[in-house]
Amino acid sequence: MTPRPLSLLCELTYRCNLQCPYCYNPLRLRDYAGELSTEQWESVLAQAADAGVVQVHFSGGEPTLRRDLPELVSAASRLELYTNLITQGTFLEDALLDRLLDAGLDHVQISIQGAGAEVADRIAGTVVHEKKLEVLKRVRERDVALTLNCVLHRFNHDALEEVIALAERLEIRRLELANVQFYGWAYRNRAALMPTREQVRDADAAVNAARERLTGRMEIVYVRPDYFDDFPKPCMNGWGREFMTVTPNGQVLPCPAAAAIETLQFENVRDRPLAEIWSESDSFIRYRGTDWMPEPCRSCERREIDWGGCRCQAFLLAGDAGLTDPACSLSPAHDAVVALRDGSSEEAALVARRA
Amino acid sequence: MNREAPLSLGKGVKLRHDRDGGVMLLVPEGALMLNASAAAALELVDGKHTFDEILAAIVVRFEVAAETARQELDELFARLAERGFLR
Repeated sequence: MTPRPLSLLCELTYRCNLQCPYCYNPLRLRDYAGELSTEQWESVLAQAADAGVVQVHFSGGEPTLRRDLPELVSAASRLELYTNLITQGTFLEDALLDRLLDAGLDHVQISIQGAGAEVADRIAGTVVHEKKLEVLKRVRERDVALTLNCVLHRFNHDALEEVIALAERLEIRRLELANVQFYGWAYRNRAALMPTREQVRDADAAVNAARERLTGRMEIVYVRPDYFDDFPKPCMNGWGREFMTVTPNGQVLPCPAAAAIETLQFENVRDRPLAEIWSESDSFIRYRGTDWMPEPCRSCERREIDWGGCRCQAFLLAGDAGLTDPACSLSPAHDAVVALRDGSSEEAALVARRA
Repeated sequence: MNREAPLSLGKGVKLRHDRDGGVMLLVPEGALMLNASAAAALELVDGKHTFDEILAAIVVRFEVAAETARQELDELFARLAERGFLR
């Protein structure tokens, strides 16, 4: 039986005024310049609600660069979809915030690049940190749920406790500390961004201590780097099982990083109804469930826990999206992950994201 | 969680009646599926009812022992409050 999609990620645009080298967006950003119109996005939202989706995430790129964002939030709210805005926050002036809240926005996730301006602005490639703090204070006062997000990598890992302290000062209810996931620009920059074993060990301890201390006041969502674990992450909770992503130009992906898989053809909402793409397209069917699995997944008792891990990572590191995620210690290609993890270097060049 | 004051859902927390008859609690970047008694209890988290009032309603509606119901509701609400889903 085809599962029901619950969650839709709308990547409204890949334009962004920041240049974070850990971005998971694809390298060929210009291929996505032909963005869907307001009407086309409204149709995507309606089709998604029809298909069973309950939660929609507006992201990018930087979604607030779309002038029709409040209209799209409003359209989603009318469809009784839970609306989440994932933004780096630099354009969240009061006027835009008012319009978004009037439109029914339920939750906003704002990212910072580090605890202090020096590192954060270097990573962002532009001076934005102080502005973000000011935006965060204003959003905190409003009637909208707020998550503060910080992507962790070699250059800000050591300041993790300072990020937690900053979140405490801002009275943030929900903090997401997510290690960089190596896709898109981040994959290109993997040798430079990869944290060290010591950094990951220290972070684990710091997060555990903070969670204990802040119970009931702050929820800390912590995403470990999966190159350091014995088993892979349950990527997307299974391919084509709950999530879908629509890219700025209307491509429908089972995972936000899936465009990297050159052996799959992804279909477009301009050409085919969303529900059909979800239930019938080869790109969604190919790795859905467990029938596609090779060994060691096929006979593994974890096969419905991690669903074989990440298809994109299997393609990028083992050359075949239909193999066990090399992040798994049982994968025959696990050496590739070990080599990347242990062969990283602070000296490696960091390439800024740009169109 | 204040036992005397009326309870409300936290910011960004919404109860949703689904087309298949199920009820879910939509929360920041997630959804929790609710069983019938949890759904009924959360229906009453509306800024008007206190814990004891909600408990009394559940006991009547589901014909359960008060002590069992109190314990279960207490656990559920404590878990939700810890994550900021109740206030």
